[in-house]
Amino acid sequence: MENIYKPYLMEIKEIIDETVDTRTLRLQFRSEEDKKRFSFKAGQFAEYSVFGEGECTFCIASPPTRMDFIECSFKQVGKVTNALRRLNVGDTIGFRGPYGNWFPVEEMKGKNIVFIAGGIGLAPVRSVILNVLDRRKEFKDITIIYGARSVGDLVYKRELREWQGMSDVRTVVTVDPGGETPDWKGEIGFVPTIVEKAAPKSDNAVSIICGPPIMIKFTLPVMMKLGFKEENIITTLENRMKCGLGKCGRCNIGNIYVCKDGPVFSYSQLKVLPQEY
Amino acid sequence: MADIISIARGVFENKKADILIGYTKATSEGRTRPVIVRSADEVQNLVLNSSCLNNLATYLTRKENKGKKVAIVAKGCDIKSIVQLIAESQIKRENVYIIGVKCNGVKRSFEGEDSKKIAEKCLNCNVRTPHLADETVDMSDEGLTGKDEKAELIEKLDSMSAEERFAFWEEQFEKCIKCYACRQACPLCYCERCIADKSMPRWVESSPTKRGNFAWNIVRAFHLSGRCIGCNECERVCPAGIPLSLLNRKMVMVAKSEFGYESGMSADAPTLIGTYDLKDKEEFIK
Amino acid sequence: MEEYIISLEDLKKLADNLIKEGTDLFLPSPDNSRFVRLKKADELKLAPEARPSDISAKQAAFPKCDPVLFYKRDKSTVELKDAEPSANQVLFGLKPCDAAAFGIMNKVFNWDYKDNFFNKRLENTLVIGLACTYSDDYCFCTSVGLSPVSETGSDIFLVRLSDAQFAARAVTDKGIQFVKKYSQLFAKGDSSKSKPALESIKGPARKFDSKKVKDWLDKNFETDFFNPVGDTCLGCGQCAFVCPTCHCFDIVDEDYSYSEGRRMKNWDACQFSLFTLHASGHNPRDNQAKRYRQRVNHKFKYYIDRFKEILCTGCGRCSRGCPVTIDIGSIVTKIGNLT
Repeated sequence: MENIYKPYLMEIKEIIDETVDTRTLRLQFRSEEDKKRFSFKAGQFAEYSVFGEGECTFCIASPPTRMDFIECSFKQVGKVTNALRRLNVGDTIGFRGPYGNWFPVEEMKGKNIVFIAGGIGLAPVRSVILNVLDRRKEFKDITIIYGARSVGDLVYKRELREWQGMSDVRTVVTVDPGGETPDWKGEIGFVPTIVEKAAPKSDNAVSIICGPPIMIKFTLPVMMKLGFKEENIITTLENRMKCGLGKCGRCNIGNIYVCKDGPVFSYSQLKVLPQEY
Repeated sequence: MADIISIARGVFENKKADILIGYTKATSEGRTRPVIVRSADEVQNLVLNSSCLNNLATYLTRKENKGKKVAIVAKGCDIKSIVQLIAESQIKRENVYIIGVKCNGVKRSFEGEDSKKIAEKCLNCNVRTPHLADETVDMSDEGLTGKDEKAELIEKLDSMSAEERFAFWEEQFEKCIKCYACRQACPLCYCERCIADKSMPRWVESSPTKRGNFAWNIVRAFHLSGRCIGCNECERVCPAGIPLSLLNRKMVMVAKSEFGYESGMSADAPTLIGTYDLKDKEEFIK
Repeated sequence: MEEYIISLEDLKKLADNLIKEGTDLFLPSPDNSRFVRLKKADELKLAPEARPSDISAKQAAFPKCDPVLFYKRDKSTVELKDAEPSANQVLFGLKPCDAAAFGIMNKVFNWDYKDNFFNKRLENTLVIGLACTYSDDYCFCTSVGLSPVSETGSDIFLVRLSDAQFAARAVTDKGIQFVKKYSQLFAKGDSSKSKPALESIKGPARKFDSKKVKDWLDKNFETDFFNPVGDTCLGCGQCAFVCPTCHCFDIVDEDYSYSEGRRMKNWDACQFSLFTLHASGHNPRDNQAKRYRQRVNHKFKYYIDRFKEILCTGCGRCSRGCPVTIDIGSIVTKIGNLT
């Protein structure tokens, strides 16, 4: 009997501490067969489990162009994320997925791309960024605007540096006012302000935005001002989920199952949904 | 004496409260349901009769009603829970306007055979005339009668061996579906985050399994010991028919016999659980 | 359709055979609070005049607590074992409002991924429905496309002819096979026997137009309509848990020893304030009126949008059992009259 609730077993190969409370796990399938069978697209998510504690939902933070590891990043907030943090290299976790839809990377070919992320919202965006960078020639101008509350809250610092060093990528990193350190050389200001200042061009452009609801709320008007079309602004929702399979009824917004019809939505799609996210 | 509608109208006209919690007719003839009334224009559908089973005091601690001046229709038993809420510093006396009901007993249930019997809690009621009220209202006496079947069952349970008692409760708790209607209906289950909903650590298993059901029902009974005023709403609303009053009444009996304490009688008296007394018995600590 | 006649005595014999074969028989408990296993065949009672049991029969395919896998931890490795749903069962005397629910839930459990725990249980279940002669102020099966005599969801459908005799219709292939297997207990009959009995059943008084309800819900998401319900709704899960079609669940791990445990699907309910609470503290449905709006919309709009079915069989359990008598029938009737 096929059991949709049964996870793959994965081994923690490496642990990377991003911030005081945010951690990235590099995972590998325990079974060679699972590894061969597995594929996903940028923006999809999975259910990660610590047996005895339960499951929790995060996006896959690594790109489909790098299949040696599956990476996830999570902030320590609840029961399962606390338990995940107690695990060590070599330990086993459960992994169900990939679930949901994905960012329209294929449709983005030949276009300018603007990535905007706040806090741990960079995780799903990172999957697309790396995916796009691995296929750099297929895309035009790439702009990355990333902000966090403070310097200490910036995630994927090593990659931010790498992207900043690339000649064919424009990377702007900012921290909220008061979150800077004396030697901070990046921008200081909230993400919407910095987006307005950076003024990425909206011609032939697609924007991917991910971050706290408040950031998205104030960034959207800026994007409109810059001339981005609603259907070209894409984000990902993070309603509470349990099954990821369109069964358990928790993530619904109106008649939409975020876990099946989402989590990736364009702003034009979001606008017609009931305000329940 | 004034009826509930004119009293309610007076409450709003004399600005004694912002909202009034009372009873209104439900769909079916034999039933009432709670209603929140916000102005004198809305009072005409209020009712008061022996089908007013709900203990409305459970609404007093709700987030959206906090800080408001609330008028409430309360029978003696319901007033006990208001008194207990005041004693436990959950509400302030000056924020609640009590319309006390002179009550001769309510029905055991809305429908069926039990609707012809008096609720068991009413048989030994000592607060038929409200012990704390801002004004009072009469409720018609429908001459309901009945027997206290639970009293016999409590005695029977007391005489059982521990194994037999465990078997009894095992059968009862097996029925629990963890809908938490007991908790939600209980005026004294006001914890902002119930222990059953806490997951770090998870004290009470959330699953409706044998272990989870035992944990929940026993933890709840203990948390109400020395506090439960015996309104019996938990048992009345339980869709699984678990006789929760057997636990709660036993606890009330122990509080009285061992500590001489009766909850819900005085808002100024120290609470049983909240007070340490050198004279408290401690031989049960082994 | 094939129609047979079976006496209560023969139904008891049938039950006795089934019990001896190791089949689990379920029927409403003597106090009519829930479905329980029948231990002795001569205790079999079929009561078309009884109200729907307080808790529905959905547990037959969707138990309150449904293990999906077992795990065993050893230092850094984990071993998994699939849970297997239980053996054959027969549900005796289901009201049409209970029997129809399985087909409705079947849609969500199979629209994309297949929940084989639900499927396997349903596959192993034979439903013996019973024409219903009860109705009260909370019943409204005829407003949601069913009726006290609808056979939807039943494999075999019984109609009481007298205290001692029933007409039995084999509705599905499964039902036909079943009657064949126990053919010595079923006498050949014809519809002339059950027809007068069925025609005498009137059905509930409450009537509303579910299309009009949906029309209004389609246009009125932002509304004050549910505020009075939000005022008094206690936020318990009674309505969802007694409902034959409510299918929301939680996934929970529970250890039963230091190294072993199981993962389960547990019933959950949209009326709980924690149901949609995000880890960040944000809650998209942050008051009871919004949560009740979800309940009504899920049943009378979203599920129809998605699966072309009303997520309600009109059994009235949620309202009858509601601690504060919130009556969904009267609420949707009101909604229907708003358009």
